[in-house]
Amino acid sequence: MSLYPDLKEGTVVVDGIDVRFYDSQRGNGEPPVVLLHGMEGSAEKDFWALFPMLAFTRRVITFDFGLPKDGQDLTLEHCVAQAQAVIEKLAPGSPVALVGYSFGAVVAEATAARKPDLVASLVLIAGWMKTDRHQLVRNGIWRELAQSGSSALSDFNLYSSYSAHYLCARTERDFQEIVEKSRRSSISPVVIKLSDNIDIGAEVQTISAPTLVVGCIHDQIVDVSHSRELFGAIRDSRYVEIEAGHAVVQERPAELFMLIDNFVAAPHATSPGDVYATSTP
Amino acid sequence: MMNSQNVLADNEQLQKEAERVNVAIIGSGFSGTGLAIQLKRSGEESFVVLEREHSLGGTWRDNHYPGAACDVQSHLYSYSFKPKPEWSRVYARQPEILEYLRDCATSEGVDRHMRFDSEVLGAAWIEESNEWLISTANGSYLARVLVTASGHLSDPKYPNIPGIDDFKGAKFHSARWDHDTSLEGKRVGVIGTGASAIQIIPEVAKVAGKLTVFQRSAPYVVPRMDREYSTAEKNMFARLPHTAEKLRRDLFWAGEARFPQRRGIESFISRVEGLALDHLADQIKDPDLRAKLTPDYAIGCKRVLISNEYYPTYLRENVELETQGIERITENAVVMKDGSKHDLDALIVSTGFETSDLPISHRIHGTDGLLLADHWARGEQAYACSTVNGFPNLFIMNGPNSGLGAGSIIFVIESQIDYILGALDYLHQNGYTRMEVTQDAEMDFAAMIDRNAQGTVWLEGGCKSWYVDERNGRLSTIWPDFMSRFRDSNGVFRPEAYEVRSLAEQKV
Repeated sequence: MSLYPDLKEGTVVVDGIDVRFYDSQRGNGEPPVVLLHGMEGSAEKDFWALFPMLAFTRRVITFDFGLPKDGQDLTLEHCVAQAQAVIEKLAPGSPVALVGYSFGAVVAEATAARKPDLVASLVLIAGWMKTDRHQLVRNGIWRELAQSGSSALSDFNLYSSYSAHYLCARTERDFQEIVEKSRRSSISPVVIKLSDNIDIGAEVQTISAPTLVVGCIHDQIVDVSHSRELFGAIRDSRYVEIEAGHAVVQERPAELFMLIDNFVAAPHATSPGDVYATSTP
Repeated sequence: MMNSQNVLADNEQLQKEAERVNVAIIGSGFSGTGLAIQLKRSGEESFVVLEREHSLGGTWRDNHYPGAACDVQSHLYSYSFKPKPEWSRVYARQPEILEYLRDCATSEGVDRHMRFDSEVLGAAWIEESNEWLISTANGSYLARVLVTASGHLSDPKYPNIPGIDDFKGAKFHSARWDHDTSLEGKRVGVIGTGASAIQIIPEVAKVAGKLTVFQRSAPYVVPRMDREYSTAEKNMFARLPHTAEKLRRDLFWAGEARFPQRRGIESFISRVEGLALDHLADQIKDPDLRAKLTPDYAIGCKRVLISNEYYPTYLRENVELETQGIERITENAVVMKDGSKHDLDALIVSTGFETSDLPISHRIHGTDGLLLADHWARGEQAYACSTVNGFPNLFIMNGPNSGLGAGSIIFVIESQIDYILGALDYLHQNGYTRMEVTQDAEMDFAAMIDRNAQGTVWLEGGCKSWYVDERNGRLSTIWPDFMSRFRDSNGVFRPEAYEVRSLAEQKV
């Protein structure tokens, strides 16, 4: 994988599942950043831009969620155990800056609630804590298209992932690249099934880590209202919105990077309840 | 060059005649005009803008060559505090940009503070009164604070080619275009293939009888995604200003996301390199010509250029690309290293600007008469890209490490304006009349720049560019980090790095 020069790769086995991890190794003395990818993704697909940006100044670790063999159900417990195993293997004894995106944000919430000692700070990007009707409709369409083998599946993913404005502002070349990328990627049905049934609101309220919640204004997969509620649920949290669709890691990676980098460097530089203003460049 | 020490020799007489102001700004381009506007908006009235020419505009006044346009989208390449919903197209051309700058100055009333035909001949720090004495071609000034806003791309640089002065035909630098010289049907040579040259070449090719382009190294060129804005869009931007602000942010963050290209990240480099090389392959089919136009260094080491017209120009019958290297120039020809010769009627020199040895630094004398250029003899550096030990109450805009590899210089300029206004406010609030950055702070800052520069394409990309100072190998003109970091680092005044004092009887 070409996320970063001199990347260390390896595997940990958790619950009999292989989990592939990636580590930039060099850091600046601050807690390493651990990135948790989304439903559709691999670490590389979601973090090809964010990982190197962060790795210029700090150690960055990420991994691909491993799925159970033989079609068994994936559980949130599996995912938390994988995050825990990677953290304890690569950064034993010191808490990390845990950054979750989309489904990875759900895992990050559960990890921060259940294993507070692992987490120095928490960033939740386009996350949620209780699956709502809007998401169920989407998952239903996805299931229907996947089961019927429809070629519309990748277009549906593209259509719901990106903001309309972003897609329309691309050059033809860049748009075709997005289309190709969308055709190559796939979501496992077990991940969709797990995402149908997320309901961890009570746990999220127990999160004590300083937290930055990032909502995406044009998100059609996880409506921005979920991020606003997370901001309400987590005591020591601040909030910011980005003008992007769910694919914020593709649409505005540099803005996301600046927010994460500044926050994890000094999580208490801002106060609980702060709402970041949109800056004018 | 005029000896600025001599200019200031009759110090007492100059001081007697001098007009006293709080702030003197050298230069009326985007930096100087922008600072003037924000100064005035902050309530400051006691300031002058000293301009050597007889009108404002800096780069956009001087570079009026055919085809001159900006390589940054206009909704980003304009002041955030003076938005213009009516930009005619994505990448405005020179006349529209110059008109914008003039409108800004007029509508904000800063044109009244501009002193034209007032080239700064010398400036000296007067310790007794904590002021700068500034001698110009048109009167002298005493200023509490001096700001150089004289640009990084303002003094043409000519190539050191034997015999270039012997050439008898028309000859001018692209930044000093001679519109009285008709190139119609002439045999024209263009030296250089940088950002200006690739805009000029397609235009000259249309009128010249024969055009020969002398290339030292081929640039990377990507498509220019330009178009006119519709009336509907322009009205939308005017009626719903947040739509224009959103566009500005989209453009800014897209530029910001290109930075990893400059830091050796393969996934970023391969995308932009593919874009450039595919653009070349799409437009140039002949393999020999394509080879000549293919760069031999890592992308981003020099500025990545944008044009749709540049490559097709070489498909014209009357255009030739010469890559052998120039041996010398005669009265009427350019002679190549392989002995071949190009007879020419006119020669256009488009070889860039004095960047590593800023001309203004040869005219500014700090404490104990120290010349800024001598202080910088082994290379330029400045704390927060703005201030220099030994030069109290002096701010440098667009100076050391203030250039960008990908992005809008207006963002840098606005950051520096904020920094200067913060410093002025600090002086004023505390009654100080003298501030000087400590040597330690300046050295630590330079070391930080050096650390960030390691691993960048500018140092490791295998090209010779104006970003690197030949004297010390330091990356001295460009900011080797994200633009946002420029604003974090250099856009907010922090007094800790400064020694401050006051003249008891004399307050700002």
